[in-house]
Amino acid sequence: MMLERGDIGGYIPAPDDDLLVCRCEEISQGEIRRAIHDGLFTLTELRRFLRTGMGLCQGQTCGRLVKAIVAKELGVSPAELEPITARSPVRPVEMRVLARNQEQKNG
Amino acid sequence: MTRINEHPILGVYQKGEPVEFTFDGQPLRGRAGEPLALALKAAGVLIHRYTAKLRQPRGIFCAIGRCTDCVMIVDGRPNVRTCLTPLAAGMDVRTQYGRGEKQ
Amino acid sequence: MKRYDVLVVGAGPAGLSAAVEAARLGLRVAVYDENARPGGQLFKQIHKFFGSREHKAKIRGNKIGEELLQEAAAAGVEVMLNAAVIGVFAEKEVAVRVNEQILCRQADALIIATGASENMVNFPGWTLPGVLGAGAAQTMMNLHGVKPGERILLLGSGNVGLVVSYQLLQAGCAVVAVVDALPRIGGYGVHAAKIARCGVPFYTSHTIVRAEGVNQVTGAVIGELDKDRKIIPGSEKHLAVDTICLAVGLSPLSLLCALAGCAMEDNPAKSGYVPLVNRYGETSVAGIFAAGDVSGIEEASAAMIEGRIAGLAAAQRLGFLTQEDLDARVAVQERALASLRQGMFAPGSRGQTFTATTEGCPLSQNLLRQGYLTDTELSAYPGVVWAEGLHPIIECTQNIPCNPCRDACPKQCITVGATAGQITALPIFDAQKGCTGCGLCVAACSGQAIFLVDEEAGEITLPYEFLPLPQKGEQGLALGRSGQEICAAEVVDVKTAKVFDQTNLLTIRVPVQYARQARFFRRAP
Repeated sequence: MMLERGDIGGYIPAPDDDLLVCRCEEISQGEIRRAIHDGLFTLTELRRFLRTGMGLCQGQTCGRLVKAIVAKELGVSPAELEPITARSPVRPVEMRVLARNQEQKNG
Repeated sequence: MTRINEHPILGVYQKGEPVEFTFDGQPLRGRAGEPLALALKAAGVLIHRYTAKLRQPRGIFCAIGRCTDCVMIVDGRPNVRTCLTPLAAGMDVRTQYGRGEKQ
Repeated sequence: MKRYDVLVVGAGPAGLSAAVEAARLGLRVAVYDENARPGGQLFKQIHKFFGSREHKAKIRGNKIGEELLQEAAAAGVEVMLNAAVIGVFAEKEVAVRVNEQILCRQADALIIATGASENMVNFPGWTLPGVLGAGAAQTMMNLHGVKPGERILLLGSGNVGLVVSYQLLQAGCAVVAVVDALPRIGGYGVHAAKIARCGVPFYTSHTIVRAEGVNQVTGAVIGELDKDRKIIPGSEKHLAVDTICLAVGLSPLSLLCALAGCAMEDNPAKSGYVPLVNRYGETSVAGIFAAGDVSGIEEASAAMIEGRIAGLAAAQRLGFLTQEDLDARVAVQERALASLRQGMFAPGSRGQTFTATTEGCPLSQNLLRQGYLTDTELSAYPGVVWAEGLHPIIECTQNIPCNPCRDACPKQCITVGATAGQITALPIFDAQKGCTGCGLCVAACSGQAIFLVDEEAGEITLPYEFLPLPQKGEQGLALGRSGQEICAAEVVDVKTAKVFDQTNLLTIRVPVQYARQARFFRRAP
């Protein structure tokens, strides 16, 4: 998919733009739609820019919802979108635990 | 009655000892070992926290440790998933505001 | 670093089944699970399972869970709880978070059986306390004995939504409505029928407009959808509820597979992003297997078989089983899987609409829209035979993989399919075989779709799984299939037996003209 910014038209406000999508980071549908029309076409870019799916639950609740919004705005099927990058840790781990683990490794 | 005394399939639930804990300083009773979130629910507490940006109330949503909406300040530690935390006698449970920064 | 022959991620039905098979062949097997209790969702599934004997049909999910744990212990499987696998790296090395530590483990074969996560939908008010997932409701009531709410709106009419609605009724909650955006009920008709006759209304082609409340849910507004899935103006309806329960599907929890470098696909037929697997459940990475919901959403019965196949295949890879032996054993499991994957609810039938059963019986449109069969539709099915004297009326009208009724009948009055593996055929009742009215079929039917009826006496024996149990001699009301009150009824018998497994048989007497309609008993207030 080689879409460029502007190809999908500008952002037009919708009546349900206030609707919250990402519960953890409190990101609304309107914020996501606006970002897409500003040229952020991938889930990864949206995560970096808006923090959708970057909160405590790590996108386990909103992942599918964000994907559906992106697909709709781009006019493609959700299955065609590039999936988010899988990264360890896949479960929330406190920095304290990670740091201590590193200390142990380093002896 | 929020608690089910006897269930047609499961019979009488095995429950821990009755214990006392506090919610925002107010004494409440629950059963030792049950998820803290459910002890609160049975005691009529539904609001666990208020969000950082919009200051909206949140409570139990997934109940299995995934969504993290039920986090509270437990014994001084913020962001504790109450649906996974077993209730113990004397626990100090507080409503969390925002991300649990020191108030 | 601690090493195992096989490391299984997830102690649900697939993971435990895989572990048991591998351990029985002499492999050193460990199962890691992030939860405090093993069994995955099985212990919340307190209903009787579908399928046939080889799929543990008519056994309740929680009992299947107990059996699996016993099998795992007997086979020497090490089950580690509160152990969240947070990463998979090269050479099948995994990182596990246990309390304040991160442990590294390595295995020669890795079986990923992480299951699924619930899908959620958003609508105004969806973040209010009182809106929760169906799994949350099951955790509360079935594991911890706490009611999720008093008056509940259930969004979603797939099997999860229907089963949870019934369980909510068993927990003593009121289910005010089951709402689904689709024009048809998604789950088994029998699951819908058993809540419809308790008086639960279905709103198909409806959606939730908003949840009401400031600090918690105090109500909900639903609206009817037109063909373009837009709310029809003026169709909004207010419902007084304190809880909104979401049961809108599941997605494979496959991030670990992606992390392990397995080739993935986004496949709507499998309900999401899944690893590509071969007939053994092996992914594109040699020695890494996926089993259960993580590789495509299905019933727990299918997950257990996939688990067994993966466990056997892992054993073969490690030299504990010959290829020939493996294929012979897998063939048996594949036959069991194939018999489950038939019929109108099979994964391969997703997205298709059916108008008739394979026998050519027209499907009840009312069952699909409202959750109950009408009197006129009923006689089209082979299990419904109006004979003299006491006999079963089998209100089983869709091709569902299930046959405990056949096995339950000591007189072989009931047949399901021409061959043993054909378990989606509608049950046929043969009045000539001499039904004794023992009621075993009534208790065995996982869909609670069998009633013993004596038309001349006006007596109906029905399955009853609620408390308090009505007493002999008690007066109350008979409800029809739609949950409508139809006439006065008296309880003339209550049978409880170990073999019925918590399904009580209630015999009620009604005026004879209502014997074909009365299907539930409501106690006098």
